[in-house]
Formats: sequence, C-alpha cells, structure tokens
Amino acid sequence: MNDNQPIVKVNDLHKWFGLLHVLRGISFDVTPREVLVVIGRSGSGKSTMLRCLNFLEAPSSGTITIDGNSITTGPGIKVPGDEIQAVRLSTGMVFQEFNLFPHMTALGNVIEGLITVKKMPRDRAVELGRLNLDKVGLLDKCNEHPIRLSGGQKQRVAIARSLAMEPKVMLFDEPTSALDPELIGEVLDVMKQLAQEGMTMVVVTHEMSFASEVSDRVIYIDHGEIVEEGPPEQVLHNPEHESTQNFLRSFSGEES
Amino acid sequence: MTAESLSQPYRDPDSGMGMELMAHERKERLMQRLKVSLVWVGLVLLLAVVLLQLRFDPAYVLQHYDFVLQGALTTIGISVVSILIATILALLGALGRLSTNSIASGVAGFYVSIVRGTPLLIQIYLIYLGLPQVGRTLETYGMTQLGDLFILSAIQSGVLALSLNYGAYMTEIFRAGIQSIGHGQREAAEAIGMSRWQTLRRIVLPQAVRIIIPDIGNQFIAMQKDSALVSVMGIWEITYRANRFARKDSKFMEMFLLAAGLYWILTIISSWLEGRLEKRMAHAYER
Repeated sequence: MNDNQPIVKVNDLHKWFGLLHVLRGISFDVTPREVLVVIGRSGSGKSTMLRCLNFLEAPSSGTITIDGNSITTGPGIKVPGDEIQAVRLSTGMVFQEFNLFPHMTALGNVIEGLITVKKMPRDRAVELGRLNLDKVGLLDKCNEHPIRLSGGQKQRVAIARSLAMEPKVMLFDEPTSALDPELIGEVLDVMKQLAQEGMTMVVVTHEMSFASEVSDRVIYIDHGEIVEEGPPEQVLHNPEHESTQNFLRSFSGEES
Repeated sequence: MTAESLSQPYRDPDSGMGMELMAHERKERLMQRLKVSLVWVGLVLLLAVVLLQLRFDPAYVLQHYDFVLQGALTTIGISVVSILIATILALLGALGRLSTNSIASGVAGFYVSIVRGTPLLIQIYLIYLGLPQVGRTLETYGMTQLGDLFILSAIQSGVLALSLNYGAYMTEIFRAGIQSIGHGQREAAEAIGMSRWQTLRRIVLPQAVRIIIPDIGNQFIAMQKDSALVSVMGIWEITYRANRFARKDSKFMEMFLLAAGLYWILTIISSWLEGRLEKRMAHAYER
C-alpha cells in the first residue's frame, strides 16, 4: 500500500493563536487507502491540526498538499478562495458536535452540498443522497429533522453528508466524543466499514480500541509536535516516549 | 446496520393514573385562562363606567366610527410597505456591520447610529420638508430629473422615514440573529465547499430568521403605532381622521379613544398572525 504517492502531505505546519504556539512544525504524509489515527491530550493541538488540513483554521505557516493541490501559507500570504475551495472539495469532515443543519431533513442535509456546490439536478442529488443514507443505515430516517434523531444517528447522517460529496480524504474530529457510550458503536461501525472500503481517513479520536483495530498508523501529538509515530501495535502497545506512555496509562483504567 | 438506538419510553398498559393527571392539569389550565379573561372583562367594564361618569358620548363615536376606520387601510398599507423595506435595509445593515469590508461596516454603523440617535418626528420633517431643498438646489444646477427625486409626497416621505428608522433598529436584531447561529453551522457548510454567500443564504439566514420572527413581529406592532406620526403631514390615516373631528367638536376623549381602540385591534391581529408564523416555522424543531 505504501508504494503509492501520498495523497496528503503536510510540511512544517505552524499555528499561532495570539502568542500561543499551538502547532510547532508538524509534518506527515498520508497515503491513499490509509487510516491514520491522531491521538493526544486535550489541548495538544490535534484538533487544530486536523482543522488546518481543510482550512477551517488558517495555518500560520507551512505547506499542505491534498490530492495534488498544494497551498503554502505564511505571514502576510492571503490564500486565494478557489484554492481553499479545491482542498475542501477533496476532503470531507465529520465534527465532534455533528453540526447537522437543523432546519433541513436528514436527506436535505445530505443533498445540500450536491445541489448548491456541485449544481447537481435535484432528482439526481436525491438519488445519491438516499444511497449515502442507506450506506450509514438510515434510509428510513431520510425525512426526519435532526432534532428527532439520536446522537449516533446524527453523526451517521453527518458522515453521509460528507460522503455524498465524494471526497478523497475523510477527516474525523473526535466523532464519538459527544456521544452517549451506548451510541458510540454504531458510529465506529460505519467508520470501520469505510476503512474496509479503502477510504483514506485521518481520525482524531480517544477510542483506543478503534485505533488499534482499524488504523494503519498512529501519530501521538504533544504540545503541538509529533512525539511518536508508527503502526498501532508499536505506538499504542509499546510506546518509546515517556509522554506517550503516560498518556496511554490514563486510558488503561477503562477497558479499551 | 444497527438496531434502533432511540429507546422508547416505558408505556404502562394501565394508563388510568396518567389519564387522570392529564385531565386534572388540563382543567387547571382552563380555569387559569378563564380567570385571566374575567380580569380583562372586569377592567374593560371599569373603564366604561369611568368614561360614562366623564359624560363620554358613545353616540358620537358610533356616528364617526366609519370615517376613522377608513383610515385603517392607509395605516396598514403604510406599515406593511415600510416593514418590508425596513427588513431589506436591516438585512443589508446587518451584513454591513458584520462585514470585514471597512466601507460596508463603516456605512452600516453610521446609518444605525444616526437614525437611532434622532427622533422619528424630526426624520419625517427632514424628509418631507428638508429634502425638497436638496431637490431645488439640484434643479438650479440644471439636474431637473435628479432634483425631482428629492421632492416626495407625504405618503412617500412617511414610508421612507418609517423604513429608514425601523431598518436601523432591525439591523441590530438581524445582526444578533445571525450571530446567534453557532459557528459549527458555518464550518459544516464550508467544509462541504459552500461559499460564504451560499452558507449565509442557505444555512445561517433561514435559522436566524426563525429566531428573530418574534422580534420582527414586535417591530411591526410598534411601527403600526408610530405610523400615527405621519398624520403631521396630513395623511388621512387613523390618527389624522380622529384628530379632525376631535378638534372640530371638542370630542377628544371620544375620538382619540376610538383611534386608540383601532390601533389596539390592529396590533392584536398582528400578534396573532406573528404567532401563527412562528408556529409554522417551528415545525422542523418539534420532537
């Protein structure tokens, strides 16, 4: 698998929030069909890093290449909107808080981007939307508004909404952290299925069992830097660095 | 893929107790509403008694009721057109205030400040009596057609003043409404590639408008009453008509109470309409 050209390349990514230096020179690649899991304490910068990939957060400096579109930023550089648009079209993002559009039905959420962004005719969009809702097991909920869905169902609709846009890379920002424990499984199942189908995924998560089962590679971030990187059996079960060991120890209390 | 994840609440096959409690609650609510209505009726009767003591002349009211009522159509017309224009101005104003463009934000801030900082009556005078001066000056420079635009009829002046005035207040309502929509909504839209304009139009505004509907309704009610001020320009709406007879026959209590009553009825109808609109828009948010 690794003989492929990387589909995501991050080079020397920095992010400042005022005087806070939250990302301090992050570099990594993701190859097609790879599942990369990013772990780290809250406040370590892992979510900020993910949000920089599709420019929801403007990187302070560094180069991000996704599916051939390369964007370099730095102080005083204004990135053109169409370049950001290109990156956003090749990535899909799933948020911790789902962020479904509450005034639209589940199907409305899924077809919104197809109609407004891809200018797809409505009947074709509906067809594709239903296909994607079916994929996450929620075709029967297509006419429900988000308020009538459980957290797990909302997140699955959010995944379908991203998938409908046919992204090359899926970004997951702690997709199960806002869910009741009994609802986490259904979302992870959908993600596992995506991984099996060969979707390239970057997943920020605290779900260590998911990480060790599904991921090809794990990155541990601390204080805005990649401290440890490698296959899950190494990073999760035999970490070299003390910081990684301490972090993982805090999870060993709960069965993962 | 997964089993139904919303668990159903437990339903007791013997629902007798629940039914009894619900019936009791319904009865209490009904009694409460009945009592409140009685208080209203009592207050109206009290007012009537006081008025009759003042030698209030109901026959005079009945005699001129029709004449004043004919002004209601003008009042409603002016208010409806003005609230529509004000809504458009408010939307533009809010977008300007929230814009990173310094010209847009400066113009919008200036507009809100100057209009909110001056009395509506002065604005009416300025537009009706002051603007023609601008028009005449332009005409002396030979720009006759442009100058004519500044000479407005009473009705045009009234609509312009009310629209500008309410547009400024509603700018703040729209701004607050837009800002109340969580950042996550914008991010989700932008993450699927929607432009800022698409995000505003399809995601943010529909949600913001639902939230501010009660406030817009409130403004509409206030405007119907403020439209009484346009009577100073001799527009034959409710207040002007009431004023005419009140002065002619010195029937102040009779005519102004009649006018007040008509405004009251108009606002009751408006708030009922607003309530229905609010309910309709709540559909997506009902469990």
